[in-house]
Amino acid sequence: MSQYIIRRLLITILLLLVITVIIFAMVRLVPGDPAVLMAGQGATQEQIEITRARLGLDKHPVEQYVIFMGNLLRGDMGVSTRTSKPVSEEIMGRLPNTVRLAGAAMLIAIVFGVSAGVVAGIKRNSVFDYSSMLLALFGLSMPVFWLGLMLMLLFSVHLGWLPATGAYTWRHLILPAFTLGVASTAIIARMTRSSMLEVVRLDYVRTARAKGLTERLVILRHALKNALIPVVTVIGLQMGILLGGAVLTEIVFAWPGIGRLLVNALLARDYPVIQGVVLVIAAMFILVNLVVDIIYVYLDPRIRYQ
Amino acid sequence: MSKSRLIKMVLLSGLLVVSLVAAACEEVVELPVERLTIGQGTDPLTMDPHHIVDSPTASVLEHFYEPLLELTPEGELAPGLATEWDVSADGTEYTFTIRQGVKFHDGEPLNAEAVKVNLDRRLDPDAATEMMYLLGPVTEVIVVDEYTVKLVTEGPFGPMFSHLSHSNNAMVSPKALEASWDAPVAEPVGTGPFVLENWQPDHRLTMARNKDYWGTAPQLDEIVWRVIPDDASRVIALETGEVDVIVRIPPLDVPRLEAKADINIEVAPSVRTMFIGFNTLEEPFDDPLVRQALNYAVDKEAIVEHILGGIGRVSDAPISPGIFGYQPIMTYEYNPDLAKELLEDAGYPDGFSTTLRPAVGRYHMDVEVATAVAADLEAVGIDVTMETMDWGTYISGLLANPEEAEMYQLAWGCITVDADYGLLPMFHSEEVRPAGFNLGFYANAEVDALLETGRTTADPAVREAAYKEAMEIIVDEAPWLFLHSESQVVGMGTHVKGLVVHVTERLLAHNAWIDE
Repeated sequence: MSQYIIRRLLITILLLLVITVIIFAMVRLVPGDPAVLMAGQGATQEQIEITRARLGLDKHPVEQYVIFMGNLLRGDMGVSTRTSKPVSEEIMGRLPNTVRLAGAAMLIAIVFGVSAGVVAGIKRNSVFDYSSMLLALFGLSMPVFWLGLMLMLLFSVHLGWLPATGAYTWRHLILPAFTLGVASTAIIARMTRSSMLEVVRLDYVRTARAKGLTERLVILRHALKNALIPVVTVIGLQMGILLGGAVLTEIVFAWPGIGRLLVNALLARDYPVIQGVVLVIAAMFILVNLVVDIIYVYLDPRIRYQ
Repeated sequence: MSKSRLIKMVLLSGLLVVSLVAAACEEVVELPVERLTIGQGTDPLTMDPHHIVDSPTASVLEHFYEPLLELTPEGELAPGLATEWDVSADGTEYTFTIRQGVKFHDGEPLNAEAVKVNLDRRLDPDAATEMMYLLGPVTEVIVVDEYTVKLVTEGPFGPMFSHLSHSNNAMVSPKALEASWDAPVAEPVGTGPFVLENWQPDHRLTMARNKDYWGTAPQLDEIVWRVIPDDASRVIALETGEVDVIVRIPPLDVPRLEAKADINIEVAPSVRTMFIGFNTLEEPFDDPLVRQALNYAVDKEAIVEHILGGIGRVSDAPISPGIFGYQPIMTYEYNPDLAKELLEDAGYPDGFSTTLRPAVGRYHMDVEVATAVAADLEAVGIDVTMETMDWGTYISGLLANPEEAEMYQLAWGCITVDADYGLLPMFHSEEVRPAGFNLGFYANAEVDALLETGRTTADPAVREAAYKEAMEIIVDEAPWLFLHSESQVVGMGTHVKGLVVHVTERLLAHNAWIDE
């Protein structure tokens, strides 16, 4: 098993390296001169030359990449052309907000998604099954900005229970986390249900029942544990997606996360920030999936023989 | 490890995450302070006034920094950090008496030397500050004595005083500038009535009253500037009382908000004028008849009435009221028949095909306005293809290669409220890129001469006459399809008093208070 984990770790490191190469190339392959782009709109020829020298764009690409990696390992991702602040500072100022929002959304998605999926799976073809799966379909299809505004209208404007915008207290987290978590809840619920349906038909569940265990024990101890294995993968992927910046949710709820940072950087052609945010998002996605892969080994002993 | 232990572990770590999340969201301690919260769509882009490029940034920085002269909401020049100002008879020497007893937020004194350091930085190409043309012909800044400073120019410079009231010419602590000459200063160190307390980018900026302010002390203890990018969410935040003031209310929301007892809507004029520019070098727009025809073909009244919900003003000149030099010239009334006749005279009885680049997401209802224009043009036989791009791509492409655009939509804010700024960069033949913003390559020697007269004369009457004549030619030759000037729609709780919505699209809370 430790061999498997070591292999996964090595693959992860390799993947991260590949990503740095892609991102390194991305900025240099966009049409036009990267020095002109990085120097910003309205830069003079002199400023462009200074930028070119500062970025080392006159050097051999391989040498450039080594310098880029050296800076990166020291946490230096350059300076934002829009705000003149270090990119790492811009990202670190917002990353905790994104993690908070994604974490809360994931929690909602797991709690509601798994429970709805389990019940729907056990009570197949019941009213609960149909209605929860229909709801899940709605949840998946609803545009985030519309749902967000509707929730604000109901809970902030009409009922006055929750604040609508900003990121001050835990109460400010509820509406955006719910809005962001709805789609993941739906995906997890549907996945849990179908996985449950598969598992309850298997021999060991029949054996458990034949042993005379209560239905509760059969479901919780025997069926659910095994049904959750594929769900964990889905949860991992969803977590990566949520961390990747919930741009629309962040805009609607004025939540200061990295999704908005990325959009603002894109609109302003702020290449150092675009590069940095994409790198961080990609790294988080890969790391979350590494964690999922490791959890997987514990959950499913069959993995290590493959 | 057994599976049940693992599951327990996962649950425990889940719990840990929950408590971490809860701990991370600390409660804000509410102190009994008089606080005004303002919701804007964007965050300040810089803390350095010399690097301002947009009005939301100017709104915030106006509370930290002050210029030599103030432009009152009525458009008059008033003393700011200078108490007196004068120009020599030949119009080449501008003398300012600097206010005594003023200190920057870092304790540095304001004096003639400090003013010189600031203006020298503005004039230094290596410092690369924004809108350097505001100080155009200034050649030298001389310290006469401790509180007198003199600006020397190549020749008379009519808009000098109004340009010195511009946010970009505000005074920064010389100590801060020394440390950050060719890069924007990171922390605001001005002379203004508020000091920075805390700034969380993309979220909120808190400023506190400057206890050592030289002028009338502000009543507010704190101003909080919040960033709420979505228009609808900003309106909701005003309705729930999360913010006291919001800017840029979508026109469709205005009647609903006006009906609320606890919300006031202020519709203030703006000096921003929207137009559609023609590439006057290329067929068919090289023919003034065609350009006039298109002006007649578009129903401007309907656009203002139905798309902007009445929140705007149909243009009758290339600049709007409230600007020095403005005079009503003429509005091309909506007359599609006349448009068709003119097109026939110009040799296009069956119309022609062309393209229009709309400005997306930059101005009030910009795409909707462009679509209405295109529809009106179709009605007189002109086949318009919309070339839609995101704002960033559009504006950088337009500024880099204006010759590739046939028709383009833009709005120009004449924020110095002087016709020089509103007309010269748009219509002078030498102000093509990269010098200015004459993106349609309009060229008329007479207009050039008149605009130069306006710029290089100190006598207001002579200047006004020159601008009137220039605008008459411009409106007649129609290098633009003249549309409308925008209005600023600001909403605030009825408890907010004394807030100034300036024609230059700045929100000034210097003398605002909360009426409980």
